[in-house]
Amino acid sequence: MLRTAGASGNAATRTAGGVRTRGWLERLILSEYLVFYLTTAYFLAVWPIVPEIATASSLSNMLTDMLPLLVVAIGQTFVLIVAGIDLSVTSIIAFASVVGASVMTADGGYLGGSPLAVPAGILTFLLIGGLIGWFNGFCCTRLGMPPIIVTLTGLMFLSGTAIWYTTGHSETSSIAGLPKAFVLIGQGSAYGVPNALWVALAVGISAHLLLGHTVFGRWLYAIGINRKAAEISGVPVGTAILWTFVISGVCAAIASILFTGRLETGTPVLGQRILLDIIAAVVIGGTSLAGGKGKIVWTVGGVLFLVVIDTSLKLLGMSLFVVFAVKGGVILFAAIIDAMRQRIIMRG
Amino acid sequence: MRKIEPRVSRRSFTVGALLAAGTAGLPIMVKAQEGKTVALLFDSLVSPFWVSGIEIMRAEAAERGWETLEAISDFDDNRQFEQVRAMIEREVDGILIIQTDANAVIPAIRAANEAGIPMVHFNRPPAESDAYSVAIQADNRKIMQDTVQFLVDEAKAMGGTYKACILIGDLGDVNAIQRRDGFFDIVDQHPDLIEVVARVSTEWNADKAFAGLTNALQANPDINFLVTSSDFLHPQIEQALKIAGKWHPRGEEGHVLFGGFDGDEGAYQRLIDGYLDACGVQNLFLEVDMAFGAFEDLWAGKQVDKLLLDPGFVITAANLEEVRDQMWGYIVWQQQQ
Repeated sequence: MLRTAGASGNAATRTAGGVRTRGWLERLILSEYLVFYLTTAYFLAVWPIVPEIATASSLSNMLTDMLPLLVVAIGQTFVLIVAGIDLSVTSIIAFASVVGASVMTADGGYLGGSPLAVPAGILTFLLIGGLIGWFNGFCCTRLGMPPIIVTLTGLMFLSGTAIWYTTGHSETSSIAGLPKAFVLIGQGSAYGVPNALWVALAVGISAHLLLGHTVFGRWLYAIGINRKAAEISGVPVGTAILWTFVISGVCAAIASILFTGRLETGTPVLGQRILLDIIAAVVIGGTSLAGGKGKIVWTVGGVLFLVVIDTSLKLLGMSLFVVFAVKGGVILFAAIIDAMRQRIIMRG
Repeated sequence: MRKIEPRVSRRSFTVGALLAAGTAGLPIMVKAQEGKTVALLFDSLVSPFWVSGIEIMRAEAAERGWETLEAISDFDDNRQFEQVRAMIEREVDGILIIQTDANAVIPAIRAANEAGIPMVHFNRPPAESDAYSVAIQADNRKIMQDTVQFLVDEAKAMGGTYKACILIGDLGDVNAIQRRDGFFDIVDQHPDLIEVVARVSTEWNADKAFAGLTNALQANPDINFLVTSSDFLHPQIEQALKIAGKWHPRGEEGHVLFGGFDGDEGAYQRLIDGYLDACGVQNLFLEVDMAFGAFEDLWAGKQVDKLLLDPGFVITAANLEEVRDQMWGYIVWQQQQ
């Protein structure tokens, strides 16, 4: 039962009177892969307007643009499945960026010039993400605080702390001079595949297996569908929720590594403007804000959809205000589709 | 229950065909441009300086027969990097960029270098690197020195001693640092005349500027010499001085010697009203001309220096009519009138 929660879209094709064939629109709306169809349709629609969108280099750019966003959105998917939300992810990205950079930078970093700089720097990123995630989870589960309050205040605190930290470690507003080996994680490639893609694949496959093929994953869906029932059934609800925040924090830290490597700079405002993109990508993919429903492949679709829209608007030279308006419209459209989907399912 | 057949009806085929035809026709509407295409990549349009800047650029580009593509990154370095790559895909002829961070823009410069597309930084130079680009920048330090020197001369002429306050910008911005240094270059030469009692860090944030200046005026009610690193903070300065009972025009008892920087329309208004004594003006028209000239030189294969300086000028009540046509804020002010 818990497994089908992740794919509840096609659940109600039978009625008491027998089999009812759904219309193509209903089947489209109920499809798990609606976002992929929408992405394809949008891509084909804008292709004649901006032919550059279909060039090999543009497609390659789109792929690399979506990877850091995908990694952080994967972490958010875990939290949303248990009906939580993590608003602190962008501040984790920023804070981890400057602290990790301060360890590695050749301009007076704690381990600048040392062969240990890169491994220690990466470990710092991951530790920061994990610890902040753990703290968020602890406040939500052990202290009973609402996730929105914990992570929103965390967002404010960490954003300010990141700027304060940078002023103490750099003459400028960012930390540069990062080792080449670290920068290559965000920019380089291995076997013709961008390193960032290897990282995102590792995160995505691990997350997919964790959610879909482990008891822990089933716990998460059970908690999202009915927390009380899960508790009575013996699911360690508090511990499981706490771990979703740790996963979210670590994913944000990995995204921070990709962003920081890409820009060759640790900056305290890194990722500060993408919070809406992260949540929108997950929800557009089909993960429910109410919990109990979500898949990693859906999140991939949501991120892809947003990145295709974003890229097309950039290629058109649209102003940021148009980009915001279009994105807002798309998110509203996704919410309407979701509402329609629920109505169709309820109707049977 | 009605069964819906999943087939393509004549009506849906007609609608689909019309949509496809319309979509296919769109490229004709946006067909390849004549002349050069330049991308204008701003990080924000939060102050009149940038709004005027982009308007002057559009007008100048149109005059030269160039097309422009615009994008705003909303202070997001990663987004700006992606915008640069998108403009490279569009095969623009030049990229004019106003980056948020001097270090984080380096990969974008490298990408433009690899694509063979000239990049010009407007008003903010990048950090030192092996990547090649041209930066147009006001000679902030010199302009601020000249502005403060005028105020010092005024102070000497009026007599007495002065308690000074400076509103400093974001110290991550090289412009802010240079303006601060220009202020101290002059003030430090006159320790008997001027004592700096307050350094307000604004981080280019109007709220912080207001709070900081209010606190400074409470702690030092005898402040009578004030310099701001940007004119966009004038409304907050006016409010704070009014609360402190120090908002008086030249010639009135209690007038605070007041110097500005940028040359916006508010500064022009305060100059003619007598509240502002001097303003260091960035010659926006000249800077746009220099930026576009750099593109032309680079397209022609000429070598252009990595940093080109706008000497700017100081405007005061004495030379107002003589130099105001070069002050971008005056043009905005005229339009508002």
